[in-house]
Amino acid sequence: MSKLKKYVEESKNTKSPDLEIIDRGVSNLSDNPAFFELSHVTRLTLTHNKLTTIPAAITNLYNLEILNCFNNHIKELPQTISSLAKLKIINVGMNKLSALPRGFGAFPVLEVLDVTYNNLNENSLPANFFHLDSLRALYLGDNDFETIPPEIGKLKNLQILVLRENDLVAIPKEIGELQRLRELHIQGNRLTVLPPEIGNLDLVGSRQAFRGENNPWVTPIADQYQVGVSHVFDYIRTETYKFLYGRHMAADAPPPPKTADKSKKISRLG
Amino acid sequence: MSLTTTPRPPNPMRLQSLSERNESGLFQRRRLHANEPEGQNNTQVPDQLLAGIREMGPQPDINAGASVPGFPLTNGIGSDMSMGIGVCRRCGEGFGQHQQIVNSNGEVWHPQCFVCAQCFQPFPEGIFYEFEGRKYCEHDFHVLFAPCCGKCGEFVVGRVIKALNNSWHPDCFRCQLCAGPLADSGFVKNAGRALCRDCNAKEKARGLGKYVCHKCHSIIEEGHIKYKGEAFHPYHFNCNSCSIELNADAREVNGELYCLRCHDKMGIPICGACRRPIEERVVHALGKAWHVEHFVCAKCEKPFFGTRHYEKKGLAYCEIHYHQLFGNICFTCNSVISGDVFHAFNKAWHVNHFACSICDRKMSQKTKFFEFDLKPVCKFCYDKFPGELKKRLKKAYDEQNKK
Repeated sequence: MSKLKKYVEESKNTKSPDLEIIDRGVSNLSDNPAFFELSHVTRLTLTHNKLTTIPAAITNLYNLEILNCFNNHIKELPQTISSLAKLKIINVGMNKLSALPRGFGAFPVLEVLDVTYNNLNENSLPANFFHLDSLRALYLGDNDFETIPPEIGKLKNLQILVLRENDLVAIPKEIGELQRLRELHIQGNRLTVLPPEIGNLDLVGSRQAFRGENNPWVTPIADQYQVGVSHVFDYIRTETYKFLYGRHMAADAPPPPKTADKSKKISRLG
Repeated sequence: MSLTTTPRPPNPMRLQSLSERNESGLFQRRRLHANEPEGQNNTQVPDQLLAGIREMGPQPDINAGASVPGFPLTNGIGSDMSMGIGVCRRCGEGFGQHQQIVNSNGEVWHPQCFVCAQCFQPFPEGIFYEFEGRKYCEHDFHVLFAPCCGKCGEFVVGRVIKALNNSWHPDCFRCQLCAGPLADSGFVKNAGRALCRDCNAKEKARGLGKYVCHKCHSIIEEGHIKYKGEAFHPYHFNCNSCSIELNADAREVNGELYCLRCHDKMGIPICGACRRPIEERVVHALGKAWHVEHFVCAKCEKPFFGTRHYEKKGLAYCEIHYHQLFGNICFTCNSVISGDVFHAFNKAWHVNHFACSICDRKMSQKTKFFEFDLKPVCKFCYDKFPGELKKRLKKAYDEQNKK
């Protein structure tokens, strides 16, 4: 705690826009009210600490543009957090979040949201989550999503979508509406087919990325993936695939079982 | 349509005058007409038989007689001689001893009988017009018989232009486009309008979407050239350099016309986009010359119009699309990178914005970093990752490299 006090004093004196408190074992910010007077700070990095919560008073740091709390023990975020009107990048990856607070979608200019490695699923998202149409990158890797709400199609500015190592059994066709998407990570899920609408996207090329390995793909997709991503996209754009996809969806086969053992994830511990 | 002129109808009656010294203006005009050669019959032709313009002489049977009571008749019969003259032309009665007699063209009237057949009033200034045996005052004659001008609505006295089912003063009958007089040059009917020949040709060409040659005034069927702002048949001109007869590919340079061959040999730059010579502002870029409006972004195809462009692999791009395509938008601050760029994982950073995505600590060209969801992670942070995650990442990394 005295360490935190030292950082607060220093920031107060230097008026530096950046405040980094990394790997200092900080567990509580509320103990030091002076911390919330540092309204000049635009970037706050609290990576590798032991915070269990972010106090509602974080909104006093109204100039914040970047908030990084990667690898803490945070179980929930305050509802007030979305009133940080200048926040562009928020990284709360590797915490113990099982939900995002109500009204989380109200950030006016949020561009990057990183909630990698938490305990989130489709029921953890607040109703207004997909109002975040300023988002250009959404990192949901290492969580527990089985489905993605079709409202994802509203995030028109999304360029990067990471769904790596969730429990996804299907991808909504609305992802095909994300015209600006250039990175899609869906490796390590329970996906068997891709909606043909994904063929609308341009994810093949040196400036794009598509990662789909470690899924129980239907044989034709698995075969194409062996040869290369471009072959997968050429294939799902064919009439043959559209027909196969329609038949596959009509058959309504049960999704493949969960295979990943997540019990060792540190987000689950404690 | 042709213009027909019928002979001027002669006046059937001679002017009867009481006094040569007391003529009104109209009187004098009448006299001039009356003195024109006689011997022709009144060749008044019904209007409907004439197509187009018919030129008419003065109004039919315009006569001026004058009878001023108490004024001696020079060419008539004096009142004292009335007994031997006979009866009034109108009432059929004789004349008293001292009664005044009006004598006109060998016939006699009581003064009170010598009146307008329409209004029964004496003739003002003694001027009357005769038509089909009846005499009218000037006003009533005009009302009854004189045509009205189709333009100004006034009575037409003298020469009448009959055209388009209407009558006109010669001076009122003009081309409806250029307002040039048509009375003597003839006209062409075009969509119910009277036009001069030039205007008609232009109208016709306009209707066909064609130009009219400014020199020969005929329609240019195909291939015109523009010279000093007007359209011409190319064959009216020769190349200023090789004297060959021009065709539609000819070009005007500094007020002179050249065939395309000579024109292209004059050292005029050729646009890199449309391959045609550039006659106005030239943009030099990418080792070529361009029409200002043809030098465009290879992505959005909007002209730069002098704004900054970015070159890549022989193509030019606007700032937005250059950065969008070639990725020089900083992943951290989302703004265009104008200086040095740090590239990694299909992304770009400002050199001073390139940092570990976990702890935000700056990294340099020499710093070793790991990849995590295509983001850079410094070794310190990577080591902090839980073992099970590192294991998964290593496995994925190994699989990737097997391929």
